[in-house]
Amino acid sequence: MAPPVPAQYNQQYTQPQQSSIAALTNQFSNMGVGGAHLIPVHLIGMPPNVKDLDDSPPKINLPPNTSVTPSDKANCDPSYKRSTLNAIPATSSLLSKSRLPLGLIITPYRSLKEGDEPVPVISDTIIARCRRCRTYINPFVTFAEGGQKWKCNMCFLSNDVPSQFDWDIQTNQQTDRWKRAELNHAVVEFVAPTEYMVRPPQPPVYLFVIDVSYPAIQSGAVATAARTILESLDRIPNEENRTKIGFITVDTSLHFYSLNSNASVPQMLVVSDLEDVFLPQPDDLLVNLTESRAVVESLLRSLGDMFKDTQIVGNALGSALLAGFKLISPIGGKIVVLQSSLPNINPGALKAREDPKALGTPKESALLQSADPFYKKFAVDCSRSQVCVDMFLLGSQYSDVATLGCCPRYTGGQTYFYPAFNAGRSEDALKFAHEFAEFLASPIALEAVMRVRASKGIRMTAFHGNFFVRQTDLLALPNVSRDHSYTIEVGIEENITTPTVCFQTAVLHTTCFGERRIRVLTLALPVTNSISELFASADQIAITTLLANKAVERSLSSKLEDARDALTNKMIDILGVYKSALTSSQSGASPQLQICDNLKLLPLLSLGLLKHVGLRASSQIPTDLRSYAMCLLTTMPSQLLIPYLHPRFYSLHNMPQEVGTYGSEGTIMPEPLNLSSEKLERHGAYLLEDGQNIFIWIGRQVSPQLCMDLLDVRSYEEIRAGKVSLPQLDNAFSQRVNAIIGKTREMRRGVYYPHLYIVKEDGDPSLRLWFLSHIIEDRTDTVMSYPQWLAHLKDKVNISFL
Amino acid sequence: MNFEEIEEQDGTRFSWNVFPASRLDATRTVVPISCLYTPLREREDLPPIYYEPVTCKAPCRAILNPYCQIDVRGKLWICPFCLQRNAFPPHYKDISNTNLPAELLPKFTTIEYTLARASQVPPIFLFVVDTCLEDDDLKALKDSLVVSLSLLPPKALVGLITFGTMTQVHELGYSECPKSYVFRGTKEYSSKQIQEMLGLSGPGVRPAMQRPGQPGVSQNLSASRFLLPVEQCDFQLTSILEQLQRDPWPVANDKRPQRCTGVAMSVAIGLMEATYSGTGARIMLFCGGAATEGPGMVVGNELKEPIRSHHDIEKDNIKYYKRATKFYEALAKRSSTNGHIIDIFAGCLDQVGMLEMKSLVNSTGGFMILSDSFTTAIFKQSFQRVFNKDSQGNLQMGFNATLDVQTTREMRVCGLIGHAISANKKSASVAETEIGIANTSAWKMCGISPKTTVAVYFEVVSQHGQPLQPGSRGLIQFLTHYQHSSGQFRLRVTTVARNFAEGNSPQIAQSFDQEAAAVLMARIAVFKAEIDDGPDVLRWLDRMLIRLCQKFADYVKDDPSSFRLATNFSIYPQFMFHLRRSQFLQVFNNSPDETAFYRHVLNHEDVNNSLIMIQPTLMSYGFVQPPQPVLLDSISIKPDVILLLDTFFHILIFHGETIAQWRKAGYQDQEGYENFKELLEAPKADSEELLADRFPIPRYIVCDQHGSQARFLLSKLNPSTTHVSGSMYGTPQGQAIFTDDVSLQVFMEHLKK
Ligand SMILES: [Zn+2]
Ligand SMILES: [Zn+2]
Repeated sequence: MAPPVPAQYNQQYTQPQQSSIAALTNQFSNMGVGGAHLIPVHLIGMPPNVKDLDDSPPKINLPPNTSVTPSDKANCDPSYKRSTLNAIPATSSLLSKSRLPLGLIITPYRSLKEGDEPVPVISDTIIARCRRCRTYINPFVTFAEGGQKWKCNMCFLSNDVPSQFDWDIQTNQQTDRWKRAELNHAVVEFVAPTEYMVRPPQPPVYLFVIDVSYPAIQSGAVATAARTILESLDRIPNEENRTKIGFITVDTSLHFYSLNSNASVPQMLVVSDLEDVFLPQPDDLLVNLTESRAVVESLLRSLGDMFKDTQIVGNALGSALLAGFKLISPIGGKIVVLQSSLPNINPGALKAREDPKALGTPKESALLQSADPFYKKFAVDCSRSQVCVDMFLLGSQYSDVATLGCCPRYTGGQTYFYPAFNAGRSEDALKFAHEFAEFLASPIALEAVMRVRASKGIRMTAFHGNFFVRQTDLLALPNVSRDHSYTIEVGIEENITTPTVCFQTAVLHTTCFGERRIRVLTLALPVTNSISELFASADQIAITTLLANKAVERSLSSKLEDARDALTNKMIDILGVYKSALTSSQSGASPQLQICDNLKLLPLLSLGLLKHVGLRASSQIPTDLRSYAMCLLTTMPSQLLIPYLHPRFYSLHNMPQEVGTYGSEGTIMPEPLNLSSEKLERHGAYLLEDGQNIFIWIGRQVSPQLCMDLLDVRSYEEIRAGKVSLPQLDNAFSQRVNAIIGKTREMRRGVYYPHLYIVKEDGDPSLRLWFLSHIIEDRTDTVMSYPQWLAHLKDKVNISFL
Repeated sequence: MNFEEIEEQDGTRFSWNVFPASRLDATRTVVPISCLYTPLREREDLPPIYYEPVTCKAPCRAILNPYCQIDVRGKLWICPFCLQRNAFPPHYKDISNTNLPAELLPKFTTIEYTLARASQVPPIFLFVVDTCLEDDDLKALKDSLVVSLSLLPPKALVGLITFGTMTQVHELGYSECPKSYVFRGTKEYSSKQIQEMLGLSGPGVRPAMQRPGQPGVSQNLSASRFLLPVEQCDFQLTSILEQLQRDPWPVANDKRPQRCTGVAMSVAIGLMEATYSGTGARIMLFCGGAATEGPGMVVGNELKEPIRSHHDIEKDNIKYYKRATKFYEALAKRSSTNGHIIDIFAGCLDQVGMLEMKSLVNSTGGFMILSDSFTTAIFKQSFQRVFNKDSQGNLQMGFNATLDVQTTREMRVCGLIGHAISANKKSASVAETEIGIANTSAWKMCGISPKTTVAVYFEVVSQHGQPLQPGSRGLIQFLTHYQHSSGQFRLRVTTVARNFAEGNSPQIAQSFDQEAAAVLMARIAVFKAEIDDGPDVLRWLDRMLIRLCQKFADYVKDDPSSFRLATNFSIYPQFMFHLRRSQFLQVFNNSPDETAFYRHVLNHEDVNNSLIMIQPTLMSYGFVQPPQPVLLDSISIKPDVILLLDTFFHILIFHGETIAQWRKAGYQDQEGYENFKELLEAPKADSEELLADRFPIPRYIVCDQHGSQARFLLSKLNPSTTHVSGSMYGTPQGQAIFTDDVSLQVFMEHLKK
C-alpha cells in the first residue's frame, strides 16, 4: 500500500535552482563561449613531458546549472566512463572534419581502492525511468509542475514522479528529494524490484576445468592451482553462503567429482565417451561451497597428487567445456579453465599451427584469428545461458591464445597467459598464484546486460571488449569482470540542437550476494559547433584507448600493417586538421608540428602503440604473445593501458632520499623518465614497468655497493640476470627499491602481479632486447625514434594538406 | 546292471546300456543312445595323478585308458578309437601286467590328471551390481557382497561394476579417492571403445608404461587398476560397497528406473576381454529389475507398459525381445570365447529379462538365481553356496572348461544339451543327425562344477545286416579340460564301453535306464520347445512314447487291458505324463523369466534332481503310518496328514485341515500331545535335510489346506478329482483340483489305445 501523497507536496518542491526554461536559454547563450581554450604547443625539438600522462582529462564545461543538484559528483568520473571528446560536436560534419575519434571508454566495475568512495545504492526500489526512452532519472533531468513531473534529459518527455519518490519506507516519513542519490550522483546503483528479474538471482557459480594431462602435472600447474583455490576458498565471493563450486579435470577423459556434503572424500567419475558428452550423475557435481566445504578441501588437498603418475598426453578441452556447460548452464556462472596443453581431441582440437616463416608477413593475421569456430560458437551458447569463461593458459609450448581467447572474449571473461609456466621456478608459481587468487577473490557481477543510451541524434556504432552483442546495442555479459573496460564508438546521426547531451550506461546485473541491481553511469557533455573547442576538449588518454581497440580490430580483420598504417594516418589527419584549421600556418609547409596542449602526448602514445608487442612490425614475436597483448589492449581500462603502452621508467641509483620511503600518500615514487636510452648511464640502475612486467636494468659499471645493497652480490659480474624475486635486504636502498616495486604491483587496478627481471647491460641479448623494446623514444631496427616519428608526421602533414 | 554304481564311478547314466548294433536298430529303439554325464562328479577315491596323459597320435589324440590293448613286452598300446599302435613313452619302460599305471586299471575308467601347467592368474570375480534398488534391497545386496569377499580365496582377483542409469567401472587400484569410469546407459559401445575408455588401450596409454623385456606388463598394469587381489583391495572395496548409493537419477512415479543392464554387461565383458581373456573368471550380475534403456532393454520405462508375457511372445507382440536376445547372445558368445562365466542373480518380484539374458548364463556355464528380493534367504544362501569349498579349501568350481567326446568308429556324437557352446570341432566322431548343440565333437563350457551334468547324444553308423563280431562294443571317451580353482589345469578322462547287440536282442530292452531316458528326452523336449511351438513338442513327446511302447510293451491289439510294460519301462510313461504338464513345457502359468530359469536348472542337474523336477516327490506324515511317499495325486490330500512336497524349486509343507486346526489351537505346546509336536517337527526336519545341499535354494513354503499358498501343491498334483471328473475317480477325502488337464489315469488309458 502506498503512503498518501502529502497535501503540501506541490508547494514544497520548488527547485533550489533557477527554473528549467531559464536554464535552457542560459545554456544556449553559453554555447561555445564557456568552452575550453586551445593552448598550442610545439612538438618537434621538445622531449615529451611524461609526467603529464597522469594529468586529468580536459574539464567538462557544462553550462551552469545543467545538473539538478549542485553535487560535485553529478557528472561521471572518468575512471568509470570517459569520452574521447569532452565536448560533443553538434553535427556529424564537424566531427568528421575534425578527424577526432568519438567514443566512450566505460569501466562500470572498476575496483575500489582504499579511499575511493563506494557507489551509492538506492535500495527503496523506487526507480524512475522515462516512459518513452527508458532513461533512468539522473542529475540532469528537470522537474516541473511543482515537482510532480520530471522531464527526461534525453528525449524531453515529461514523466510522473513516482508517488513514493519522497517517502522513506523505513522511517515512514517524508524525505528530502534533493538528497536522493540518483539526483546527486552520476554513478549510482538501484536495487531492482522483481520486474527486472526473469528468475530469482543466480548464486555465484565457479566451475573449474583443469587440464591434468602430463604437461600440466609436470609444470606444477595443477598443484599450484589446487593449492591456490584451497587457500582462496574463504575469499571467493560467498556472502550469503549460496556460492556453488564444481570441478572437472580433463586429459583424454573427463573426470567429474562428486562432492556430496555428507562425504569426507570426493568421488571421481571418469567419462571417456567424448563423442556425446554427458553428466555422470544428476547431483553433487556442482555443490554449495559452504555445505560441501570439507569435501571440497579434501579434493583440493589431493588434487596435486591425484595424477602424479600420469603418462597421458592429450587433452579434450572442447568436451570438458561442453560438459561444464551442461553442468552449470541451468544456473549460469563461471567456468574457470586452467589449461596447460593444446587441446587435441575434437570437438575443438587445435594444432600447433604457428609458423615462424609467417611472422612479420601479411600471413601473420591468420594466426591471430581463431583456428576453430567451435570456441566462438560455444561462447555464444554460454552467453545465452549466462555462463562466463575465463582462460588461464599455462602452456609450456604454443597455446593458441588466439583461438582459446574466444571463449572469454564473447562471455565477459578474461584470458590470462603464463608462457612457459613452471611452478618449479618460485617466481612463476608466485605470479600465477597471486593473480589467480586475486581473480578468485574479485567480486563479480552476474547475468548482466549493458546498454548505453544517449541523447537524440547520437548513436552507438561499434563496440569493443569482451561481451556478446545482442539486439544491436545490448551487450550481454554473463559476468562483469572487475576493472574491465568496454569501448564504444559513437556517431552523430542528426544535428544536435541541445546545449548538452547525455550518455547513460545501465548495467542490469546480479550481485554476488544475490541482489538484482542496476548500475547507472550518467555522463553529460556540452555540445559545440567549434572545432577549436573540440580539440581543446579532446582526451588523449581516451583517444589512445579507443585507437588501441580499433587497431586490434583492424589487425584481426585485415592485417597488422593496415592497422599500423591506419594509426599513422589518423595521427597525420588529426595533426593536419589542427594545422590547417587551428594554426596560422594553415596549408603552408612549416618546420614545426603543432598540437594543442591536451593532445601533446598523443603522438608519443601512438608511437607506443606502434611499437607495442601487440602491433609492432617484427618477425620475432610469437603469435601467442601478440594475441595475449591484444586481449589486454581491448579489455584494460585506460589506467592500466597507458603504462602498458608507455611504460614507467625510473632511475634507481640516484633517486632522491625520500623516494621509496613512506610519505603522506603512501610510498613516494620516483619521477618518471623519458623512455630513451640516453637516460641509461653505465653506472646506473633503472626500473621499467608496464603493469605486466618489471625490469631492473643494471649498467655494466654499476657500483659494487649497489650490487651488494640491491642483490646481495659483490659485483656486477656476479649478478644473475633473468626472472628473479628481489631479495629483501637489511639496508635502506634495498628496502626503498622493494617498496617501489611493492607499490608498483599494487597501485593499479586488476589482478596482475608483474614478474621482475634483472637485465644486465651486456647480458643475455634477448632479455636486453626485450627490455629495450620498451624504450620507445629510441629507434629500433624497424620503427623510428620519437624525433623521427615527429619528423615523419610533420612531413606527411605538410604534404597532405598542401 | 546297477545304473547308480556306474554313475558313482563314471558320472554317466546311459539311456541304453547295450547298444543296438546298426543304425536301423538304433532308430527303432526310439530313445537315442545318449547319456547324462557329470564330468566333475566328486570321487574321493580318485588318485591324484601328477603326470601328463599319454595320448594317441594325431589326429586321434585319445588318451590311454583301461580299454586299450597293451603289449607290455613291445611297450606298445593300441588305441581302440583309431586302432593305431603307439609306443609307450620312455618313462613307462617298467610297465608290466602287474605294474600298470592307474589309467590302465579297470577301476579307473574315470581318472583325473593334474597337468604341469598352472594358471598364472588366480580366479577372477567381477561383480556387476544394479543400484536401481529399494534401500533395503540394496543394503541386503551390499551386505551379501561384503560377506562374499571373505569367502573368496585371498589371491582371487576381484572387480566391481555398478549400474543404473549409467554404468560405472570402479578403479580399485586408485588410492586417492573412490574413482570410477562412467558409461552412458543408452549407447552400444564396441569392445574397442570400452577398452580405450577404460584406458586399457588406445592413444591415451603411453607406451612408456611398458618396460623393455617385460611383455604383457603393460596389460596387467592397466588391468590391475580394476581387478585386484581380494587381500589387497578388501578394505577399499568394502568401503565402496558400503557407501554405494541408490542410482541418483530421478524416477517419476509412473516410470521404471532407467536401468542399463545391457551396457553394464557389455562393459564387463569388454573389460574382461581386454585384460584376462582365456583366464578363468566369473562375471556375476546382480539385477533388481528389467533393463529399460540402451542395448539389451527388455521393457520401456513407462510403468503402464507391462513386460512381455508368454502370451505376448506367442502373439509376437514383443517390441524389444528379439533385439535384446540377439544382443545378449552376441555378448554370451564373446564371453564364452574368452572363457568367462556369467552368473545372474535376480532379486525382483517382477521379471528382470532372464528370458532375453539366459544365453549369457547358459552359454558360459554360469548360475542363474531367481529371487523376489536380495533380502530373501533364497538369494543370500544361494549366493553363499556359490563359494562352497571342497575338503582342500578350494572353491568347488572349475573354469574355462571344454569337453571333448571321442567315439569308436561305429558311433558318432549327435550333439550336447547343457550349458555349453560348440567348440566347432569337426572330428570324425561328428554325426550327421543333429541333437542339441550339434556339428561338433567338442564344447566349451567355461564354468563347471561337480554337479554340472550334460546330456550327450549318439548315433550308430554301422549298416544293418553286417555280422556282429562277438564281444564287439562301442567306446566313448569324454575329455574334460578345465582350470581348477586352485589354479591347476586338470584333465578328467572318462572312457566307457558298452556292448553292441542285435536289434531284437532282449539285452537291449533290459539295459534300458528309464530314469536316465526320461531326463534325456526331457532335455530334448525342452531344447525343441526353445525353438518350436509348445503343442508340436508335446505331440512329438507323445509320438515318441507311443513308439517306445509299441516297440517294448506286451499287448494284444485292440485290448487295452492287455497292456504290460516291463519293470524297467513301467514308470517311464508316468515321467512323460508329468513332463508334459511340467513348467518346462506348460509355460503359461509362469513368466518367461521363470521358464528360462526352470529350463536352465533342468539342463544342469543330474538324473535324480531332474526327476524331482519332472515328477515332484510327495511324502505323507500321519499318526497312523510312518512317513511314506505317496502318490502325487489329489487323493493324497487328507485332513489328518502333513504332506511334504519337493519339486526341487519348492519345498512345501502342507498341513491338512485337521492338523492345521490342532496346530492353531496350540496342542503341540501342551503336555500330553508330544506326539503331535513330533509329527509337526518331522517334515520340517526332513525338509532341512533336503535344503542342505540343494542349489539354488528352493522356495520354502509352509501352508495349510485351503490356505492361499496351498495352490503351489495343488498345481503339482495329478487331478484325479477335478471338477470335471467329479467323484468318479476320487475318494471322499480327496480334494477337487480345478484344472482342465487330463489326469494320469486318462492319459494312460489313451496311451494304451
Ligand atoms: Zn526520455
Ligand atoms: Zn587313437
